[in-house]
Amino acid sequence: MRIFLTGFRFQLRVAWGSPDTLQICVTAPLFTLVFMAIAEHAERPDLAPFAIVSPTLMSLWTLALFIAGELIGDERRSGTLEALIAVPARLSTLVIGRICAVTTLGLLSFAEAWLVAGLVFDRWLAVRHPLPFVLCLVVTALAMAATATIFSPLFILMPSARTVQNTLTYPFYLLSGVLIPVAMLPFWLRPASHLIFLSWSGDLLRDSLAAPAPHDVAARLAAVLALGAVSHLIGMALLHRVLRRVRRLGTLSHS
Amino acid sequence: MSLTASITAPARIIRYSAANALADMRHMYTWKTWTFGWLGRMLAQVTFFAFFGHVIGSADQTRYLLVGNAVMTCVIESMMVIVSTTWERRVGTLTLLSAAPAPLSWVFIGRSLQWPVSGTLTSLAALFGLGPAFGVHWRAGQILPVTALVVLTAATTYCFGLFVAAVAFNADGARNIISNATYLLMMAVCGVQVPTSYWPDWVRVVAQAIPLTQTLKAIRSVSGGTGPALVPACWAVLLGVGWLVAASWMFQLMARRGRRTGSMGTGA
Amino acid sequence: MSAIEIRALCRDYGVGRAGDKRTQALSDVDLTVELGEVRGLVGPNGAGKTTLCKILSTVLEATSGSAQVLGHDAATDAATVRRHIGIVFGGDRGLYGRLNARQNLRFWAAMYGLHGAPLRLRVDELLERLGLADRAGDRVDTFSRGMKQRLHLARGLVGDPRVLLLDEPTVGMDPVAARDFRSLVGEMRAEGRTVLITTHDMAEAEAVCDLVTMIDRGRVLLTDTPSAIGEVVPRHERVVAGAVPEQTRQALTALPGVVSVEQEPSGRLRVETADSSVTGTVLRLLVEAGVSDLSTQRPNLEDAYLHLIGDRGMAVG
Repeated sequence: MRIFLTGFRFQLRVAWGSPDTLQICVTAPLFTLVFMAIAEHAERPDLAPFAIVSPTLMSLWTLALFIAGELIGDERRSGTLEALIAVPARLSTLVIGRICAVTTLGLLSFAEAWLVAGLVFDRWLAVRHPLPFVLCLVVTALAMAATATIFSPLFILMPSARTVQNTLTYPFYLLSGVLIPVAMLPFWLRPASHLIFLSWSGDLLRDSLAAPAPHDVAARLAAVLALGAVSHLIGMALLHRVLRRVRRLGTLSHS
Repeated sequence: MSLTASITAPARIIRYSAANALADMRHMYTWKTWTFGWLGRMLAQVTFFAFFGHVIGSADQTRYLLVGNAVMTCVIESMMVIVSTTWERRVGTLTLLSAAPAPLSWVFIGRSLQWPVSGTLTSLAALFGLGPAFGVHWRAGQILPVTALVVLTAATTYCFGLFVAAVAFNADGARNIISNATYLLMMAVCGVQVPTSYWPDWVRVVAQAIPLTQTLKAIRSVSGGTGPALVPACWAVLLGVGWLVAASWMFQLMARRGRRTGSMGTGA
Repeated sequence: MSAIEIRALCRDYGVGRAGDKRTQALSDVDLTVELGEVRGLVGPNGAGKTTLCKILSTVLEATSGSAQVLGHDAATDAATVRRHIGIVFGGDRGLYGRLNARQNLRFWAAMYGLHGAPLRLRVDELLERLGLADRAGDRVDTFSRGMKQRLHLARGLVGDPRVLLLDEPTVGMDPVAARDFRSLVGEMRAEGRTVLITTHDMAEAEAVCDLVTMIDRGRVLLTDTPSAIGEVVPRHERVVAGAVPEQTRQALTALPGVVSVEQEPSGRLRVETADSSVTGTVLRLLVEAGVSDLSTQRPNLEDAYLHLIGDRGMAVG
């Protein structure tokens, strides 16, 4: 736990004021502006939860993809990865701590989106069902961190994956129901969507902002957690491979 | 300098500088990664927004969003000039460029030409390839004018982007943020997602000065068969030239300031 | 008309967060380089060499004073100056790695106003001359450091400049490349070009320069021929020793050929000698006195300054 917290605090310091974090702080309100404008113009104030939830999830995903994805790569470039591996602390715990810090920062974008809806469009959204909402945010951040553990080692094992890093945004938003409920996607896409934790998060977050009480809260939270756990297992397996390679070759410089 | 020389000299530098743009593009993408990576991603973005029309439940909205966001893709890419302009500083050529007799702006005009070209192809693929799936159908007679207007959008947005790039010349660390924030603001106010009339007067006035607002008006006129497309297109040309002049003036200003403060990059 | 004429040149930089504190990179520099001369500008890192080159190449404005190239002011007539100068910086930066050597040169040739057949001819001629012709079509990314450096020089020559500014051109070069480079500078001189070359390598300065100007902390210390400077510098050697008895110290001070005996901040004794035979005597004395903490050093450039200033009693600045 101490190692986790060390990683958490370290990354907060690194990420605070870094251009990537700043980027999210700037883009999340602008996305809200765009989505809210579409909803308001169509005279559909009931879509405001969509306009607030999707920038939040997009920010979380972007942060996971770019900051967390570069985390191990950065250590490698600065030549500190080998040193990190040599210390007795478990690298995986440290990495998870750092990635959790990143996703926590990402949650700030919800506050931004909420403020934009209120200040610009005078839609002060009430969180009708705070408990499911907060629980869902926390669980989502955790699952996001767990998923991000895949990217870090993946971009090292497959350098070519980095060139499509930028590609992993919108196709993914589309598939995971970030903006559009999965139920509205073509039927043949839906099974794939249900495998992505964000689709469960998005639906539950939107439901908690709406009037009717969300149903099956526990089961849906469990789905997010379970999918996060699977991602985490994959991530750890990949990280393990990276570490094995470092130990065997003494370096990662040729990967 | 004679009149011909005053045109051919910049054209030559732009051409040689564009070789750099092409080389960057080749380094970044192969045909495969461009088509399945970049184009796929951009088409997903257009679909993403067009689907919001589905959520709203209006076929008109869906078509409106599809056209707006399809054109938007070439804008997003053209605005990457803000990012790539700072690459000169990173490779250490800025000092050398500012010590050479030719003006900086000519170099920068050629330096990032890969974006509007690639952006035009993306937009056309989205309009003509993705459009029909969302109820945006084209008649044969519309294809040429729409293609021309997309080229115009990419070109004039590039000029506008050059101006922003010149303003952000010394803000190396914030280049991605500035590029993203600029295109998102354009996405909001230029008639991409909602008609400009939705916004307060002062926003509308600002939006009129951005070429995208004009070209999009023209494209919607052609696609819907409503209103004249020529007037907004001419406005777009004028605005594009205006922004280009402003950009080269701004580059000069920034170079002068850089000489005073010593921020024209470190060559050594 | 001189090739380069610098008068009372000053350049301040703002430092600190708000840029409110000022630091002086150049203070009151006077320098004249005649046409066809190869001038070395020697000094340690941070001496102000690069700042001077930047002002001459019009990419940095002076705070006060004037810098002229071929009679044209670098600040007020920058456009003319740019047409007459070529600049080369050391290191890997400043080339377009994704273009090939020929594309790089053609781009720069266009920047210097060449076009058509003369442009192609000039580029091919330079590629040939710098031994890059058979790699001209290869991406610069794949070049070795020495080849990149040659391409840099070709780039500097592409505008057929009358004045060449070479800022640390041999940084990171291997000895063979550095030797080739020196012969190239010789060719520049033979062609009647004026060359200002900055370096912190005394041997390089001696090998290629007609005159050497020493500069430190933004001030010109002296200008002289390399041989005049060489007469003074190489003779001096230094012995550093710890725990030297007082008696021995006095003996050393009295020894003929010992230039100075000083206590270092660490408490060790620093003995400067006029030549190696004296150094031998000093070492013998120290060993006989039972001193085991001993080392000898050749003077570095900084020592050369100290000696030159001390020996000649020259006015600094």
